[in-house]
Amino acid sequence: MTLAAAVRARRWVPALALGLACQSHAAGTGDGGAWLQRAVQASRNVSYAGTYVHTNGDRISTVRVTHVNANGEEHERIEALDGPPYEIVRRNDEMFCYFPDAKTVRLDRRVNARFFPSLFRASADVIAASYDVKLGKTERMLGYECQWLELEPRDNLRFRERLCSESGTGLVVRARTLNEASQVIEQYTFTDLKMGPQVARGDVKSIFEARVKQWITDSQPREEARGVDTGWVVNNPPPGFRKAAELRRTLPGRGQPVSQLIYSDGLASLSVFVEANPSPGRTAEASTEDGSTTFFVRPMGDQLVTVLGEVPLVAAQQVGRSVGHRP
Amino acid sequence: MTQDLSSLMDGELSADEAHRAIAACSASEEQKQTWYLYHCIGDALRGQSPRRVEMPGEVFESIRKEPTVLAPRRRNPATVTRIAMAAAASVATVGVVGWLGTQGGASVPADGALVAKGASAVQPVANMAPVVPPTAAPVAVTEDVSAYLAAHRQLPSPEQYRTVNNQRAATAR
Repeated sequence: MTLAAAVRARRWVPALALGLACQSHAAGTGDGGAWLQRAVQASRNVSYAGTYVHTNGDRISTVRVTHVNANGEEHERIEALDGPPYEIVRRNDEMFCYFPDAKTVRLDRRVNARFFPSLFRASADVIAASYDVKLGKTERMLGYECQWLELEPRDNLRFRERLCSESGTGLVVRARTLNEASQVIEQYTFTDLKMGPQVARGDVKSIFEARVKQWITDSQPREEARGVDTGWVVNNPPPGFRKAAELRRTLPGRGQPVSQLIYSDGLASLSVFVEANPSPGRTAEASTEDGSTTFFVRPMGDQLVTVLGEVPLVAAQQVGRSVGHRP
Repeated sequence: MTQDLSSLMDGELSADEAHRAIAACSASEEQKQTWYLYHCIGDALRGQSPRRVEMPGEVFESIRKEPTVLAPRRRNPATVTRIAMAAAASVATVGVVGWLGTQGGASVPADGALVAKGASAVQPVANMAPVVPPTAAPVAVTEDVSAYLAAHRQLPSPEQYRTVNNQRAATAR
């Protein structure tokens, strides 16, 4: 095979993969849906290691991520490179958060935690029910040929998303969230990335593992993540948002655990917190937005409802104003 | 004079004006404190907030008197610094700084509390619209937004664990 023929053959591989994906995908979503499905699957199945920069509003953080899929199990290591050091090691849904300064390891079960490029919380079909998925332009990024996916929300209750998917594997290498004025309000982008066999199984082990026997273990978050019936319900969630979890969390500075309901449309998510209205209590609604994060608080009798999530304010208000007792 | 300080930080003064502003600031403890506070607010807006800010009592007194503070719906990225500095002219925006400063995924300050005030009706506003004046006696409400954020993203702050350990150490003693 000549070099030119080899190059042509390599170019056909993504197209072939896309063709196969299209065959297995529900009709009607087209190429965009097939690419989205590849991106969702790649975030779980591809082994990758790299450094990404996360910009949300005015804040920037740098994170090193290593992800390995071995024998069907996901292993991931997240290392914060800015600010106080911490490391999160995940095996499927089991999370170990290491805080070296405090010599503490926090045990938790993954409920809503997602780290780039694994931003998806549901299948492509579920996501495509809330977003119109179209193919954008192709672009070379970090040395890889990439395909932009445009996820246009079907209503004003979620933000527009743009995902840049590496053509060979489908892995997302850049993601942008845009507001209604088409301004980028949040962005993830790899600054270096390696994939496949270049990533070793040992790279996802905690660098603190050997020392952790001397550390304090906080296993309460894992207990709380099991979920409970809080007695609260959101009567009017935005279309496509389904309840992902319901639990009681211990938050700093509070005597009693706070009820938390988590909703997601497969891409965006929000949390609803219900707790006793402190004395002197809040008496009026308030809200603030920064980057993709919206905060909305509403007094409800002797309770205080707080909504926080990556959704427009109108969605947070709709959710917060429809919280009630479960019948 | 605070306007001069704000303009100085924005680099909007001429050389002569800057010299005069610096000389005046150097000669006044009050202005030094204001200068320091502006920098703290600027740092917090850039996600580099100090762990603890010593603020004079009158700042908190002013906060109690201010109406509820609301963040802009969306700032133009090109004018962030300008807005940050303009915002610094009002001590009431300390509350907003607390909120903005706690969003970073990598570093969530443990004491990044949102301080919102006022018993009046509150409406979200866009583009730094004037704050709604209070119609009733203001009530100070402090909310630790970083705690909600950490619970939502399952991203606990390292500072939180420092606090836990200190509390444990104190209990042990």
